[in-house]
Amino acid sequence: MIWLVGAVLVWLGAWALNVRLAASAFGRTRAGRLAVATLFGITLLVLWEGLVRGLAVSPIILPGPSVIGPKIAASLPTLWADFVQTVVKGALSGFAIGTAAAFVAAIAIDRSPFLQKGLLPIGNFVSALPIVGLAPVLVMWFGFDWHSKAAVVVVMVFFPLLVNMVAGLQATDPLHRDLMATYSASYPQRLMKLRLPAAMPFFFNGLKIAATLALIGAIVAEFFGSPIVGMGFRISTEVGRLGLDMVWATIAVAALSGSALYGLIALIESRVTFWHPSQRK
Amino acid sequence: MMTDRALPVLTVLLAIFALWYAAAVWMNAKWVYDQASRAGTTVTLAEVIPQTMAQPRPLLPPPHQVATELWKGVAAQAVTSKRSLVYHGYVTFRGTMMGFALGIALGVGLAMAIVRFRVMELSVMPWAIISQTIPIVALAPMILTVSNQMGIDNREVPKAIISAYLSFFPVLVSMVKGLRSPDQMQLDLLSTYGASQGQTFWKLRLPASMPYFFASLKVAIAAALVGTIIGELPTGAIEGLGARMLIGSQFGEPLIMWAALFAAAILAGGLIVIVGLIERMARARMGAPA
Amino acid sequence: MKKFLTAAALASLATSAQAEDVTLQLKWVTQAQFAGYYVAKDKGFYEEEGLTVTIKPGGPDIAPEQVIAGGGADIITTWMPAALAARERGLPLVNIAQPFKEGGLKFTCLKDSGVETTADFPGRTLGVWFFGNEYPFYAWMAKLGLNTDGAEGGVTVLKQAFNVDALLQKQADCISVMSYNEYGQVIDAGISEDQLVTFTYKDEGVGVLEDGLYVLEDRLADPAFVETMAKFVRASMKGWKYAEANPDEAAEIIVENDESGAQRLEHQQYMMSEVAKLTAGSDGKLDPADFDQTVATLLAAVSPDNPAITKAPEGMAWTHAVTDIALK
Repeated sequence: MIWLVGAVLVWLGAWALNVRLAASAFGRTRAGRLAVATLFGITLLVLWEGLVRGLAVSPIILPGPSVIGPKIAASLPTLWADFVQTVVKGALSGFAIGTAAAFVAAIAIDRSPFLQKGLLPIGNFVSALPIVGLAPVLVMWFGFDWHSKAAVVVVMVFFPLLVNMVAGLQATDPLHRDLMATYSASYPQRLMKLRLPAAMPFFFNGLKIAATLALIGAIVAEFFGSPIVGMGFRISTEVGRLGLDMVWATIAVAALSGSALYGLIALIESRVTFWHPSQRK
Repeated sequence: MMTDRALPVLTVLLAIFALWYAAAVWMNAKWVYDQASRAGTTVTLAEVIPQTMAQPRPLLPPPHQVATELWKGVAAQAVTSKRSLVYHGYVTFRGTMMGFALGIALGVGLAMAIVRFRVMELSVMPWAIISQTIPIVALAPMILTVSNQMGIDNREVPKAIISAYLSFFPVLVSMVKGLRSPDQMQLDLLSTYGASQGQTFWKLRLPASMPYFFASLKVAIAAALVGTIIGELPTGAIEGLGARMLIGSQFGEPLIMWAALFAAAILAGGLIVIVGLIERMARARMGAPA
Repeated sequence: MKKFLTAAALASLATSAQAEDVTLQLKWVTQAQFAGYYVAKDKGFYEEEGLTVTIKPGGPDIAPEQVIAGGGADIITTWMPAALAARERGLPLVNIAQPFKEGGLKFTCLKDSGVETTADFPGRTLGVWFFGNEYPFYAWMAKLGLNTDGAEGGVTVLKQAFNVDALLQKQADCISVMSYNEYGQVIDAGISEDQLVTFTYKDEGVGVLEDGLYVLEDRLADPAFVETMAKFVRASMKGWKYAEANPDEAAEIIVENDESGAQRLEHQQYMMSEVAKLTAGSDGKLDPADFDQTVATLLAAVSPDNPAITKAPEGMAWTHAVTDIALK
């Protein structure tokens, strides 16, 4: 009981502190933003620990952060190998291929109204499909190693990106287009100077969604067969062994790498689309 | 408008079918050759092609095989039968709708709080993003166990939670963007009118966010469907399209799996069309150019 | 709430013939591997004992051990290695009955891959199930002195999916199969038995006990619970014996109970006929010699990669308390 009350009190206290921090001048600085988010995260962990201890939850159902932390420290080599297998080889390579392909395809479609009319409805449709269901099929086709995981990721990210990108390329203001026409700009000039920049907010929106999809796709695909390394393998195997501390350690690594990827994209976005109203500070 | 699009779409579809058949021949041929070599005979290409079209366990079933299986599941059964894909589609649809509704409520609510309160933006937004990087499949069994322990025996609930978990995020991201989309000039105008926070929200921010909201609904409904299907795998593989996929995969019946996959695709398509219609109606009522 | 009300209503109406609720969590999806329980339910054997039994099918992400720890089930079916592993991790599971006398786990290779004996394993890619089923495989490899990290002279291990594609598509030289399920799928796919080289774990000296019934140790302190379990085991074994004698009817009951509607009757008939061979030798009572063999197999291969158990199980890992009453 004391754990429960304590955790809730800590949480309330930290929240009050956060409200003040956010309102203060410090809250406007980069460090301040980071501090508020971190504080909130820490209070979540405290709350979690308090609940687990206060309600005496069995560690094979939900271990507390105090168990998971040391487990992470003790299993770094394994976690690193899993990270390389799943994130670097599976998710990132698939993400890169899917993004590049969608980018090129969108520009190619953009030039041909015929293809645009033909492919867009289908692209829209496919991007709404539960591609996850294809995972067992792709594993069968591309083998058990990371290639099949990358293939799942490519299929998962390609269509959402394509649809976003095509929409973005069409998002130019008629006024701007007329202006380009009065400059008698060539197609490459119009593309580079107006339409690609205008498409960027849409593109980055798609990228952010694709980034999280990529990781989920790579991990899910490992559930359907894999070598004996990788985050999906680790999670499904350790659940079977009741090693929930290891499951959560892997989840933590997945969350960390996903957030890093997302953060990187957001950083590039703020550099590229500094002019968009949503980037207003 | 329709005829304008019909030809290109048909052309692309035709190309896809041609590619699909070619790929089916190419991928399924290996098995025919393997079988022949195991039997110590040889086969000619002319003999191989028909054999790739009707394997019970094809690597890639040709379209007509999938269509037959789909037809069998949809039309050849009473819709209430557990062998009917309509029935399983309905189970999945129900789960998707629950998760979708939950996801929208959560996404819109959080977005409003984030735009209104700076502390919410600073503390919750980063964690909302991080939440999406957690592989939900890993959490699914835990969500199930925990709801069990809390005495929730309803199988729909864990499914809806997983589904909402995936679908709230696109709504949240788009709504935050949408609520912030009015530019400074418009905000300044309202403040010269002396509009309150609430008025600015209702008269400017909310209407301005609507295109973003509806755009996100299409993503969210798809995410809700994915979440439901993922939820149907570990929740005991009992019923729903996700369960059919799993059983098809586990018992080496790829046709059942492909039929479920396409049933899910049709369901997804239907949901998208409905969301699109709602969007068009809403935009028309709000006076946007059609 | 509704459940609570029903329970309260039942309690107030309680008579001498009060129905006892039992929830059984299966290790895997509804299939003939669990025929005994479904037959007992459908044929009313549980009802005759005054039991109301709920059967929860499993799935690829469901660890029955976790479900029982969370209070989602009173009794589970699982393999002994997984149960012992859970025991060592602080979840005191106790075997109260062992309907499967023999194990169905086998290892099969395509003959044209060139594998004929275990001596051909080095350098091969071998498919294994995980999720608690990998323990006997690692024990076997340790016995053969083969390393499993993919290094020179060892074997490469794949986590195979739940089907036999890895073998049919030649992504693995050998894969794990259950005699009653995947082996039949390989045959069904058009590969004849003489094109396969099959190893049986028990013959290789690394057999383990498969599907047994497990409950939490502390609940056995309650004589009323032991009594309920005895009724459950008695009715279940009656179901098993009925299923063995009437395999086709049992298969129909399975297909009837499969809510996904995707099971084929012929496959379930095959499965039932094979499962019957494994359960035929059991009256429900665990043979301590089998238990000892399982423990010996697991202890033969303790390594950081394969931490089934690190020492002999302590305390009451199995009991005859229930079967003694049930078989009286």
